Amino acid sequence: MALAREIYEALEAVVGPDNITEEPATLYSYAYQWMAELVTDVTEGSKFFDRPEAVLMPGSAEEVQAIVKACNRFKLKFHVFSTGWGPWAAPPAEGQILLDLRRMDKILEIDEQNMFAVVEPYVVAGQLQAEAMKKGLNNHISGAGAGASVLANACCFQGGGPDCMYFASPQDSILSIEWVMPTGDILRTGSFGSGLGWFCAEGPGPSTQGVIRGALGGAGGWGVVTKIAIRLVNWPGPAVLPIEGTVPAYKTALPEDLFKAAFPAFSSWQAFADAIYRIYDSEIGYIAHRQFVMWGDELQAAFLKIVTDPAKQLCDLPELLETPEIQKLTEEMRRNFQLILVGMTPRDLEYQKKVLDEILRVTGGWNIALVDEPAMQRYVLLFMIKLCFKSINFTATGGFIDTYNSVASPDVWASGEIEAGKALLKKYAGRIGDAGDQAMGPIGGQGGGGVTGWEDFVFYDPYDPDSAKAAVEISDEGDRIKATLGRPPGGMLLGLARATHAKEDIRAKKLSKSPEYRWQRRLKEMLDPNRVGSGSYFWGAEPSKE
Amino acid sequence: MALEDFRATATRCARCSYCKWIPFAHVKSWRFAKGCPSIEYNKFQSYSASGRLCVSLALLEDRISCFDEGLTDIVFKCMLDGCCDVACKVCRYDLEPVEVMRQLRFQLIDNGCFPFQDIPLIDNLRKEDNMMMARKADRANWAEGLDVKDLTSEKAEVAFHVGCRFSFDEELRETPRTVVSLLKSAGVDFGIMGKDENCCGGRLCDMGYRGEFLKYAENNNDAWTTAGVKTVVTGCSDCYHAFKRLYPAELKNFKFEVIHITQYLDRLIQEGKIKFSKTVPLTVTYHDPCHLGRRGEPHVPWKGEQKKIRGQVLVYEPRKPRYNGAKGVYDAPRDVLKSIPGIKLVEMERNREYAWCCGAGAGVRERYPEFSSWTAGERIEEATATGAEAIVSACPHCERNFTDAVNDRGEKMKVYDIIDLVGQAI
Repeated sequence: MALAREIYEALEAVVGPDNITEEPATLYSYAYQWMAELVTDVTEGSKFFDRPEAVLMPGSAEEVQAIVKACNRFKLKFHVFSTGWGPWAAPPAEGQILLDLRRMDKILEIDEQNMFAVVEPYVVAGQLQAEAMKKGLNNHISGAGAGASVLANACCFQGGGPDCMYFASPQDSILSIEWVMPTGDILRTGSFGSGLGWFCAEGPGPSTQGVIRGALGGAGGWGVVTKIAIRLVNWPGPAVLPIEGTVPAYKTALPEDLFKAAFPAFSSWQAFADAIYRIYDSEIGYIAHRQFVMWGDELQAAFLKIVTDPAKQLCDLPELLETPEIQKLTEEMRRNFQLILVGMTPRDLEYQKKVLDEILRVTGGWNIALVDEPAMQRYVLLFMIKLCFKSINFTATGGFIDTYNSVASPDVWASGEIEAGKALLKKYAGRIGDAGDQAMGPIGGQGGGGVTGWEDFVFYDPYDPDSAKAAVEISDEGDRIKATLGRPPGGMLLGLARATHAKEDIRAKKLSKSPEYRWQRRLKEMLDPNRVGSGSYFWGAEPSKE
Repeated sequence: MALEDFRATATRCARCSYCKWIPFAHVKSWRFAKGCPSIEYNKFQSYSASGRLCVSLALLEDRISCFDEGLTDIVFKCMLDGCCDVACKVCRYDLEPVEVMRQLRFQLIDNGCFPFQDIPLIDNLRKEDNMMMARKADRANWAEGLDVKDLTSEKAEVAFHVGCRFSFDEELRETPRTVVSLLKSAGVDFGIMGKDENCCGGRLCDMGYRGEFLKYAENNNDAWTTAGVKTVVTGCSDCYHAFKRLYPAELKNFKFEVIHITQYLDRLIQEGKIKFSKTVPLTVTYHDPCHLGRRGEPHVPWKGEQKKIRGQVLVYEPRKPRYNGAKGVYDAPRDVLKSIPGIKLVEMERNREYAWCCGAGAGVRERYPEFSSWTAGERIEEATATGAEAIVSACPHCERNFTDAVNDRGEKMKVYDIIDLVGQAI
């Protein structure tokens, strides 16, 4: 169904002929989506969701506003993305236009003294970090990595990541914003709303804290955030990270008196949890994440050897696994995580190292010696500080989702859920990648710690229908088990893909009964009276009756 | 191979967008973080490597047709410079984005879908055996007055393959003449094919004309064999890529050592056979030609299959050669520059395997001149940011594109081939 010419011409008049297209090949490139093959009631196993009727590339908030007003006039739904990196990027239904925000890609300001940056939607975390570091500052990078949008992660999705314990979660770091609402009105919030600059979220001027940073954000359904100011943190390292090594095994050598990567490991989950509490209490650590276990506790040591050696490939796995060195490491690393200590001064780092030693002593833990090898130290520091290798999630099989996740206080690590997740993966062994405990997640999921958790990674092959089917089955089974325990569903990624695209999603219906989603749905009805902003299930077709 | 053989690659792309950027480890600024000229200029997702994988899959699934509006533009408006391939393979061991994009071109050409701009170019090629819209009879004009062996009638161990651009671009002719002078003074036994030299076909292959490429590959292989050649030296990175990577993949009896002139000069300088007597006081930055750097990796024969281990982990058996830019030619040109008295070498932000393209490759200069010029202009801006007085490359196509971009923009940046600077210092 092509757009009526009247509508197309009205939209073209806003962005110009070079910034709008309805060519079929290009439209399909926007319908292709990671995980589409899992939402089988829509895609029948293909990689394509519904294609948009047209794709537009606005270059300014004013153009976005004019498009949104036109959508209200024509009762036309619009879908929006920044980088398009997520299971919700393709339009959720036919008959919609798509706004690709890649022309809005400027870092407008880095305020060194007040420690914040003002960015447009297509600025990715790696770009902002490169500029921030030149001023002795650093920014949060979401778990999706350096290629993800700073703005979208903060405003439109719950973009947590390995650094939240020190940096705070991104939604807590939003200061003022510029927001084109679904009616086409522009709202400028916080201090910017009073023309006083970008420094404050709460005023003087209207505050939208609690709205624009709601759980899972607006996913484009609440209009388009066109600029945000976001908090930055201290960076004591070099202005530009010195990169060495052969592609893809890049590494960085940072001052040893300021930087230290550690792999704390423990003999029991209770000791693991106790150590996390102690890290919170002692306020050490710049980045803390259980990262490399994503490949499975049986493979993480071998995988680390592969990705840090440009001569190695995945076919080296079997041979590596036979070596005594890897077998010993595998056992030592069963319950480990990655901790990056960064001293603002050498004395600060010395203090943090001593605290870590003490935490390991009282919890009976140890530091994995592998990370103290210079090459590994340099690789891990680069990986964790720049999150520049995050598509490594796709290295093993080409596809991944999560299942049986948990988010709670540190005791959750000792709750038996890790073993339950492992058992679930084991059940599907062969049809998915099965390498034991694949629970990857943040040690501190918000500023100061307090919350931790994991995603149970499920590696599947998108090209293998049976493997993809197994991924769906394990996600559903994980959700069912969680339901019997009275816990929310675990599989976030497939849940989001289905919630955005599926014709009927029981899981989404369950979630939509929770207070936070009812609250968001009510807001949606207020903000978008003509229901032109597309989005997710919680503001789906039916208005709320409450 | 056919596009169908890449259905798995097109399906396994995660659309992570790494292909649009230089490897994130190397991002040093907002300004020079992007790696793909095609999407930067054309903006829509379909103009990225990921987008072209989506388009390939849509084509394989008959969602679109080769004849759909805009498809030709999407497929051919790209230099196949391969930065996307390097960035993708930082994390992926199972995807071959550039291979898919080449196959997509072959498929469209096989179906008679090509940019109309190609018509005169291909017509001339078929008549005159060159990509420069020139007469075959004029191919050896560059060597006028030089006393150099003619390999069509004499034998030599080393063939100096000049290539179409150096042969016919009159402003660049001094460069191959300098090569002749350098090789002679170093005592190298070499010759040229003169007016009977053929196009290498490499650019044709990247443009999608595989059949024509194979014809030239066979012709060159036969000519060198007849002339008793053991080593082929070229100053053109397109030719180098064709000989080093494409010919061994296609010709079972290809047995020649292939060396780029910068590697050969580096060798001669180290052996003391080239000695510098003059100073060249110049701050320069070196531009890595795509087809000498990341795409200039040598072909390694492989026959095998993809298998799964540990459930679903994708591996190749036997071990498959990985083309991710690691084995391109990066050090020899820099070593030559550093050895020239007076030269100060400064690096651009994007260099080696993640260098920004000059804009000339895969027929883009001929098909889409505005896009080509914009791409070159971006590189000139990056070079200017280093404080260099000159941008130096090791490929006549880069040199021509940069020179035109500098002139069009009224820039002060000087443009050289490395050979020119070596010649100045002798």
